[in-house]
Amino acid sequence: MSDELLVVRAQLGNRSALEDLVARWQRPVWLYVRRMLDAERADDVTQEAWIAVVRALPRLREPDRFAPWLFTIVRRTALNRLRGQYADRHDLVGDLEQTDLDRSEPATRDPLDGLVDRAEMVARLAVLPLLEREVLVLHYLEDLSVQDCAQVCGVPVGTIKSRLSRARRMLREHVEEESEPT
Amino acid sequence: MTYEESRASAPEVVAGLSETLSRGARVRAMTTLVVGLAGALFISALWWTEPGPLPALTHVAFGLMTAFCLVWAGYGTWLLRTRVPLFATDRVVAAWISLAASGLTGGLLIGLAVQRGSGTGGVIVVAAVLVAITILLVVRAHSRRAALLRRERALSDDDPPSPASR
Repeated sequence: MSDELLVVRAQLGNRSALEDLVARWQRPVWLYVRRMLDAERADDVTQEAWIAVVRALPRLREPDRFAPWLFTIVRRTALNRLRGQYADRHDLVGDLEQTDLDRSEPATRDPLDGLVDRAEMVARLAVLPLLEREVLVLHYLEDLSVQDCAQVCGVPVGTIKSRLSRARRMLREHVEEESEPT
Repeated sequence: MTYEESRASAPEVVAGLSETLSRGARVRAMTTLVVGLAGALFISALWWTEPGPLPALTHVAFGLMTAFCLVWAGYGTWLLRTRVPLFATDRVVAAWISLAASGLTGGLLIGLAVQRGSGTGGVIVVAAVLVAITILLVVRAHSRRAALLRRERALSDDDPPSPASR
């Protein structure tokens, strides 16, 4: 069943369609939030985000554009949580990077080859600043188009492209550094 | 890295939405709005149709009671707009409740004005506007629900059930 059909049924008041929608998107939403926050806050913010999504769902006018709309709300919820704790973006990004580096863990291989690239990317995202990390998650892990990423982040398409380009370059540099013999 | 998972499963997240989705929350929000608005109109009508000059303190008392009811109506509106999701079917039900409440309030206001013999014309206009607005709400709610039902049918036709669900 398509997302759009689930959204339309949920908007009509069908509770099971709403539950199916949550079940389908719970993990992507949590993973996105987790890339921005530590695990404990990610759980809380994910729940807050779902409450905000459910409250706003009756007013969604384009059910076929559910994914970017969803991530817009999730992003806003996560940023609201961050704003409450950090005075400015510099501290915020620095702290997040430190949080991610602190929890770096030894890599384990997924048996499914198709997931390896994504897993590696997720592992390496910790080295990126928040804005670049976020756009990589949306574009490559959540498969949103550049236009949808721009809608979610509230910035022009060109800004998303430049962030993607910068993120790819930073990731490449990081991979090259790691592969250099010590 | 290890694969991380949320500690809250999807059913747990859904359970966390139960208060937001509860029927009680919707009923409370609707009741707050309807009773607050009806109360404000009724007290205003009493104030307006009061025969003879009133002492200043009575004006203040009427004003305070009207403001009190308006605050409750505003709170109900805020709940319905930001805190309690009203899905299409809920909106239809809510719109009909609003129409019934506005008809009842309008009738009471007109009866009061006729009994007191003052300000009848103004009260009739207010009651008519109130009923007209709620009729508009009913039409909009039905129209929105019908549009969603049409879209659901179209999508269902394009999205046949999977073999497992047959």
